[in-house]
Amino acid sequence: MAGLGTGRAVLFVVPALALIAAFLVFPALWTLYLGVLKYDLAGSNAAAPQFVGLGNYTDALTDPRFANSVLLTLAFVGLSAVLGQNGLGFLLAATLRRAVGWVRMLVNGLVLLSWILPGTVVVFLWQALLDRNGGTLNALLDTPGAAWTLDHPLATIVVFNIWRGTAFSMLLYSAALDAVPTSHLETARLYGSGPLRTFRDVVLPRIRGHILTNTLLITLWTFNDFTPYMLTGGGPEHRSETLPVYVYRMSIEGGQLGFGSAISLIMLVINLVIALFYLRLLRRRGG
Amino acid sequence: MATIELAALEKTYPGGVRAVDGLSLTIGDGEFFALLGPSGCGKTTLLRTIAGLEEATGGSLSIGEREVTRLAPGQRDVAMVFQDYALFPHMTVLDNIAYPLRIKRVARAARHEKARQTGDGLELAELMARRPAELSGGQQQRVALARAVVAHPSAFLFDEPLSNLDARLRLSARTFLKRLQRELGVTTIFVTHDQAEALAMADRIAVMEAGRIRQVGTPREVFGRPANTFVANFIGSTPMNLLPATVTDHRLLLAAGSLPAPSGLGARREVTVGIRPEYLDFSATAVPDALSGTVGIVEHLGTSSLVTLETDGGPIGVVVPEEAEPAAGSTGWAVPRPGRVLLYDNETGDLLPT
Repeated sequence: MAGLGTGRAVLFVVPALALIAAFLVFPALWTLYLGVLKYDLAGSNAAAPQFVGLGNYTDALTDPRFANSVLLTLAFVGLSAVLGQNGLGFLLAATLRRAVGWVRMLVNGLVLLSWILPGTVVVFLWQALLDRNGGTLNALLDTPGAAWTLDHPLATIVVFNIWRGTAFSMLLYSAALDAVPTSHLETARLYGSGPLRTFRDVVLPRIRGHILTNTLLITLWTFNDFTPYMLTGGGPEHRSETLPVYVYRMSIEGGQLGFGSAISLIMLVINLVIALFYLRLLRRRGG
Repeated sequence: MATIELAALEKTYPGGVRAVDGLSLTIGDGEFFALLGPSGCGKTTLLRTIAGLEEATGGSLSIGEREVTRLAPGQRDVAMVFQDYALFPHMTVLDNIAYPLRIKRVARAARHEKARQTGDGLELAELMARRPAELSGGQQQRVALARAVVAHPSAFLFDEPLSNLDARLRLSARTFLKRLQRELGVTTIFVTHDQAEALAMADRIAVMEAGRIRQVGTPREVFGRPANTFVANFIGSTPMNLLPATVTDHRLLLAAGSLPAPSGLGARREVTVGIRPEYLDFSATAVPDALSGTVGIVEHLGTSSLVTLETDGGPIGVVVPEEAEPAAGSTGWAVPRPGRVLLYDNETGDLLPT
């Protein structure tokens, strides 16, 4: 056998495996364990957690607040990531290709800025924008006193997340479009194909893989995104309480660590299902 | 079928680069026309301007009596074959060929029928269900040609059609392309940087340099009587000998010897003599009206050899039949064939009438 030989190869891999075990596998198993306990942050259940089996899971699945949270998450992911970031990202990538140099640089720079700024900074800016009294948006629209985060909590976090995350889709699609040879587009054009037709016949089949990969990534990221909490706190009346926010409020604010762990695991399962669905679509492309 | 007419056609890029500099040219109906020149001479830009992929910044262009200068590419009724063939990887050969018909909304059965017929004519019958990635370079080229043929355009535009093929295939593709063009009789313009390709295939050639046409003519004219030293240098697989000479009474004095001067040179004193190595005969013994030197390098060209004579005025190339190859180091004389000595103006580089 060429290379290091098994002994030394194992030696090289062990530190990485140890780190993964300590920070990934152990917490995951610990979460699994906590999920079957009635384990609270304080009180008698903190000192002596009670074994409840699947009790936490049945509690969650019958909790209308959990169902509400799942629906909100699906709406949040569907509107802000799958439609919003995907669509706007592609549109920006496609239009900027034809724009003059400085316009492209400017728009690219601004879009990227919203992506690379720390979440806390960004949320602070958005609070200044949406503030009921003296917020920038109200000044711009001449709607003094409009309480955006209270009246339209879901719309707020959807628009916020589109603004926040479009850069990634834009970058990915811009690279994908670069991979479509100009001669292919020109061939279609020479035979009289219009822009839409060319997109459908020539561009789309070529970037299908990119679209699926991008959608998979932004779906998972948005699904697990916690930033909306900093903007609306999940409220009012749980109207922007996506799953990560729900978990946080249950386990940290409500102190029910066992219950929170159970929901985390359910989230993990949902994530897996989503990932498998996309990977299946991706694989079908080869056949 | 169409005549293509360029009138003072111009393409200047926003940066001020003039890729096509006021060209006027008429390409006859059914002609196989080559745009030849080194990289960056504007030949591809000119082809793309004719296709409408680049917008002309001046002058006019008509294809078959129809002024098309401002028309979109899709309305010009031309088909282009790109250097990379531009076959759609996700479509079968059949769908690729049928694509122009699909855009014209021809019904599925009819367009497949038509595509099959065209494919048959180009020896693609067995490959219809394959994807482009499963084809050889030559097959891909034929698919691209079939797709152009099926569109039934008034003109074909080929951008370096043979450059993606390996050397051996290139020769057979040359013959194949020429036959196809002759059979279809469709006006065709092709771009190439390979002078041998242009000489072999084209009915007429335009040699370009820096956005301008330096000479338009049949392969015979362009090869035999280059209009200037640029064309003389560019055309021919062995470079033309270009030698400085002084004119005295009826003689051309060169460093390597003297030749009879043609009449009608007027008061001119200094000229450049141009003789192709193929138009020089080699002699191992001294002869009058010849250029002499020492035999240096001998390069084998197959049935002949290129002999370089080292002379006082620099090297002179002579093509010698294989059986008459001289030994290196011996003295040799190069005798121009009658009527093959060309004279060029030293300042303008233009051919002098003789």
